[in-house]
Amino acid sequence: MMSYRTIRIPFGPQHPFHIEPECFMFEVDGERVVGVKPRIGYVHRGIEKAIEDRTFIQNLYLIERICGICSHAHTTCYTQAIEEILGAEIPPRARFIRTIIAELERIHNHYLWLGLAAHEIGFETFFMYSWRDREIVMDLLELVSGNRVHYAMNTIGGVRRDIIPEMVKKIRKGLDALEERMKYYKKIAMTEPTISKRMTGIGILKPKDALALCAVGPTLRASGIKRDVRADDPYIAYDEIPFNVITYDGCDVMSRLFVRCDETLESVNIIRYAINHLPTGMIRVRVPRRVPEGETVSRVEAPRGELIHYVKTNGTTKPERYKVRSPTLGNIPSLCKMLVGGYIADIPIVVAGIDPCFSCTDRQAFVNVSNGKKWIWSGEELRRYAVKWYPKE
Amino acid sequence: MGLLKWSRTKSPWIIHFNTGGCNACDIEVVAALTPRYDIERFGIIIRGSPRHADVLVITGPVTRQVKDRVVRIYEQIPEPKSVIAVGSCAISGAPFTDCYNVYGGMDTVIPVDVYVPGCPPKPEAIINGIVKLIDKLKAG
Amino acid sequence: MTEETTEENEIVRKMKHLIGKNVLESEVPRPRRIFILVNEKVFGKTIRYLTKKMGFTHVSTITGVDVGKEIEVIYHLNRGGKIELSLKVRVAKDKPVLPTITDLIPGATLYEREVHDLLGVSFEGHRDLSPIILPEGWPPDVYPLRKEWTIEKVQKRIIKGGKQ
Repeated sequence: MMSYRTIRIPFGPQHPFHIEPECFMFEVDGERVVGVKPRIGYVHRGIEKAIEDRTFIQNLYLIERICGICSHAHTTCYTQAIEEILGAEIPPRARFIRTIIAELERIHNHYLWLGLAAHEIGFETFFMYSWRDREIVMDLLELVSGNRVHYAMNTIGGVRRDIIPEMVKKIRKGLDALEERMKYYKKIAMTEPTISKRMTGIGILKPKDALALCAVGPTLRASGIKRDVRADDPYIAYDEIPFNVITYDGCDVMSRLFVRCDETLESVNIIRYAINHLPTGMIRVRVPRRVPEGETVSRVEAPRGELIHYVKTNGTTKPERYKVRSPTLGNIPSLCKMLVGGYIADIPIVVAGIDPCFSCTDRQAFVNVSNGKKWIWSGEELRRYAVKWYPKE
Repeated sequence: MGLLKWSRTKSPWIIHFNTGGCNACDIEVVAALTPRYDIERFGIIIRGSPRHADVLVITGPVTRQVKDRVVRIYEQIPEPKSVIAVGSCAISGAPFTDCYNVYGGMDTVIPVDVYVPGCPPKPEAIINGIVKLIDKLKAG
Repeated sequence: MTEETTEENEIVRKMKHLIGKNVLESEVPRPRRIFILVNEKVFGKTIRYLTKKMGFTHVSTITGVDVGKEIEVIYHLNRGGKIELSLKVRVAKDKPVLPTITDLIPGATLYEREVHDLLGVSFEGHRDLSPIILPEGWPPDVYPLRKEWTIEKVQKRIIKGGKQ
């Protein structure tokens, strides 16, 4: 049986009291944020350089691990870039399977986000419930790919594993449950005053600013801008599967939550359609090890937004240059805009609202501009401060 | 068995630190807390500060910029302490071994007691690692 | 030819009309993709035209590539989410300078900083080119994505006593 207790979960590195690199430097005046400077060097690993030193197949494993949550989006972006330069057309069945995994990954990401957002505002029960239901989609991913995280389904030329009829029944059942639970969470979000108070009117990003600052993904769509790479620049099977691009006009964290809820429901429908129309045939084609000289730009709609890879090849078995721009980086300027003028206590939920990679929310430095006081809080300390600051109902 | 040892093996307090990997291992560590896996039934509590912890659960490759912080956190945990390295990059740095600012594994920087391999390891494997550590502590 | 391919070719035609033989290379490899290399001296005029007159108001990212004696900077611009135009310009490696585009598209700010960190290109007029991608304490003369900075060389410089 489940137990319902408030459990404190640290989501970030702890900080000994030294001057350390941090993710954001905030300038504050009293309780208000007046300036934000992002600094993300903390997580730099040097992957782009390492990619130049590995063969195209070796890079599959490295690129998958750029991010633990969007790994399929990264490998889809990568494999379709290399396939384009090779002039290789992957079989229709492979395109549909890639789409199914991509949408399962989106469902996983949005459930995960829901739990983390709830945790940020101190709503621990909601966190536990949503992460319990997240296990449904993780089970489906494990059923199809053999792993809960890092599915390794993509290869250059198609996919590595097939979706067999025995899996389809379980997938349908899982989708029904995921749909029902997400509808329930959306209802809670709409009616629960705790959530509404912490998210409505918070973290405003006007459409004009969203466009000027080149925002992407649910962050952009929650400001009413109808942009989605799946619809605008279709790839894998999205040109064959009908679906809606979800937008909301609230421009606040609440709208970002609703965009993700509705996107999850759309994803369920996309997967249902894909399973019902799964083409027969092969799941991969053979491709040569050596890739001819060329270059291309590959874009996918990762769960967090537009993901773009640029590759330049030189006729050898290794890439000449590989560039990755993750959606989180694309949303940081917008995030800074949203934070300025808001309360310190709103920082955790506004940052969570753009659905950043974990590491980016870990450490915050503060400078009080009126008295020059400086301090550093870990993400957990800031979260606790914020939860205490908003009076309980 | 002395009282301190009993309390440590009955209820190890953990601090979870991620050194900036892809976060897959961190999701699985946090998933271990959720109802399906529920590591609290082993008496395991996650603390917020190294000074209150017995066990350091650490993930991610050791990059140049994080190395000193890892050592400092390790030093802040009071004796006796243990370290569990979770995931391939914490064990050896793989698959980031050739990245220019990645060291080898966690044991090039701090002593490690238990290695939980996987990329990422499943929550069951992580719990298994913690249980192995408890056995190791009980054995003295 | 589909409708979409014609749209891309029309864009290339308009650019050739604007800057003539300063279009050094151009390619439309498939629908919704354009690659165009322009002479450095018309870069400012070209980017202004693309962002103000041609609707390319979204910067997906900016890539820097070491091509030997020069550094190629590629601006990946997007129109309405659909057509991705990669505008390439080359600058001398010993003095890599370009004007900033943050006055036209504020969202380009972190992308310019990233190219500055990893390849050493300066963007004149950018408000703050402090390190964004590289960690604290990184030696300022080490540009990891330049070909002469091999992985071994970078490691020797940044890891005290070399890699273990």
